[in-house]
Amino acid sequence: MKKLKRFLLIAILLALLPGFIFAGGQKEKPKVTFFWALYDGLTEDFRASLQDAFMKANPDIDLDIVPVPWKNMHDKITTSLAGGNPPEISVIGTRWLLELMGMNAVDEVSKYVSKSTLDNIAPGAMEAKINGKLMGLPVAAGARIMAINSSITTFVPKTMEELRQEAIRVNNPPNVYGLIMPGKKHTELTDFAYYLLAAGGYFFEIKPDGSYGKCTVNSPAGVKALTFMNQLANVDKVVQKGYLSMNRMESHPVFYAGKAAYVFIGAWVESAMKQAKSNFKPIYAQIPPFKGNKSTPLIITDSIAFFKDAKNLKAAGKFIDFFYQDKWKAKFDELVGFPPVTISASKLPQFQTPLYKTLGEAALNAKGWPLMDGWAEYSDIIWDAVQNVFLQKQTPKEALDEAAAKIDKARGM
Amino acid sequence: MSSQAVVIKKSKLLNEEARLAYILLAPAVIVLVAFMFYPIIYVFLMSFFDTDKLGRLRSFAAFKNYKVLFQTKDFWTITGRSILWTVIGVTTKTLFGLIIALLLNIEYRGRKFARMLFIIPWASAVPISAMLWQWVYNPEFGLLNFTLQATGIWKNPPIWLGQPISAFFACMWVDIWIGIPFMSLVFLAGMQAIPNELYESAYIDGVNSFQKFFYITLPGITELIMIATLLSSLWTFNDFNVIYILTKGGPGGATDILITSVYKNGFEWLKFNIASVMAVVTFLILAIVSIVYAKIYFGRERK
Repeated sequence: MKKLKRFLLIAILLALLPGFIFAGGQKEKPKVTFFWALYDGLTEDFRASLQDAFMKANPDIDLDIVPVPWKNMHDKITTSLAGGNPPEISVIGTRWLLELMGMNAVDEVSKYVSKSTLDNIAPGAMEAKINGKLMGLPVAAGARIMAINSSITTFVPKTMEELRQEAIRVNNPPNVYGLIMPGKKHTELTDFAYYLLAAGGYFFEIKPDGSYGKCTVNSPAGVKALTFMNQLANVDKVVQKGYLSMNRMESHPVFYAGKAAYVFIGAWVESAMKQAKSNFKPIYAQIPPFKGNKSTPLIITDSIAFFKDAKNLKAAGKFIDFFYQDKWKAKFDELVGFPPVTISASKLPQFQTPLYKTLGEAALNAKGWPLMDGWAEYSDIIWDAVQNVFLQKQTPKEALDEAAAKIDKARGM
Repeated sequence: MSSQAVVIKKSKLLNEEARLAYILLAPAVIVLVAFMFYPIIYVFLMSFFDTDKLGRLRSFAAFKNYKVLFQTKDFWTITGRSILWTVIGVTTKTLFGLIIALLLNIEYRGRKFARMLFIIPWASAVPISAMLWQWVYNPEFGLLNFTLQATGIWKNPPIWLGQPISAFFACMWVDIWIGIPFMSLVFLAGMQAIPNELYESAYIDGVNSFQKFFYITLPGITELIMIATLLSSLWTFNDFNVIYILTKGGPGGATDILITSVYKNGFEWLKFNIASVMAVVTFLILAIVSIVYAKIYFGRERK
């Protein structure tokens, strides 16, 4: 028995020995973990080459760029924070920032990123500057636009009503659909937002001091927007077949495949079409407003946040300085299709095309998401309302009244 | 050596062996306590507290979270749907599992190959199977609707994941498809343990196939059926992957079950207190099912 015990003890020591030798013999390198959002158009080659190039230039730092699909990013960050193991840095939707600040999870960017990198960011892109502190470094900012399949129609509608007429005219399912309408819930509420803004509405009342009042999705503009969406989908039936089972990622390929005339889309359209080997030339235009309203596209900004409880924030700042050089950041912008947020990259010839011109114009009048705690839940409630209308369970007025009441209740109003 | 000395040496040996057993078991016990019991206890605690957005306990709330949840209409709908999901899923898996096990138990050429084929859905990772079915159900490019239309079986097939009822059954089918092989294999193992003499005697007595099944096969595997259906009930009730990947609980919440709702409340909306109440309810439902099963099972054994 004693022999057996002795044997076990020796075996355990032998098993641990290599670890001790390794730990004692080598100084551990600081490791930077970066949750890297998988934007449409972004390639694995680019991620890997950026990681390798940084580690070659900085052999004293270990970099792990972790690719995360956009739809899982919020949950991934939350679980890592809840587990007490946040990454050093992560791409976040700027709309999540207040929530993260409420958790006391993020730190000021300017503590870690060099002044020269910060000075190269377009001031208009600094949406994440809260109370004078930059809490998220802009990584992508792009207004949404309309893309038109010129092999189906070259008509550029000036109003939503004109868009509907043309969509009805060209609609010839299953070969050609009038326009794309994602009806399955996905991370963002973009699709309802396009129509809501086009009708002159917004999600919340904005008080004179800039704070948010009651939910206004059930305003006449909101009801008009949802009624119109329902008309396109269920009355005119000009949207892609099975729209209720398709989210953005599943429905946009129908446009890339040349089967839809119109799509409301983001800056990634060109690179995504290239990857899908689309064989038509798109026309880019503004998302039209409803008659009597002014054009108000949706603008979405994403940022890079630094997480307070991570260990190697200084090394992470060093990586950001490396990444924000034109060599890498401009390439990133080109792949994902967003207009550059850095001043130097915006002057490069590849960003002077019709697409970027349209995106630039759209940004002038665009509105962003409400920056508020709990937005993930509220947008989910609005999504449910939109789906209930699509499923003909409720009228637009009923569904949006219910959603607004739920949101107000959740906000304690 | 006297008999007393032998007994003393034996008991010492047993003690030493017992000590060694405890030492060897200790790591497993520590891991179990740390990774299973601690989270379970913490979830129970969270359900009685107000929590912050990272799930940390803030202030004691007694039964407030339970009251809030039980007053929500959606909660009862989701609980009812979870039970329906489990009952239909497990019943179908059991029936299909039995039929397939019977077919795989018959002697024929290519039986080994057939057995191998039936394991594939179970051997594949669940997320991969769910993603595969997501493409099969795709209304624009999917294999299912294309086949139905091309063969003229159904000219206007439904948009499987787009309508509440079809989405519910489409998700359920994927769960069933993944779960059938386990049932079949367990039942098959049970069938092969039944002595062949019983069938031979039945044959001599002129018993037909149905009688053989109902009077020999079924009683021979009843205990296995009970264990397999209990396990399947626990897995099916907690089947998160299939629903999350296929529909995320939609359209309009039509496929939301307790486990997807726990995730949504916890990790999407950061309401860990409400999510933990749901988790506790799930735990209690499954505990009751397990106790009832255990009572029946051990009751049968005693007889």
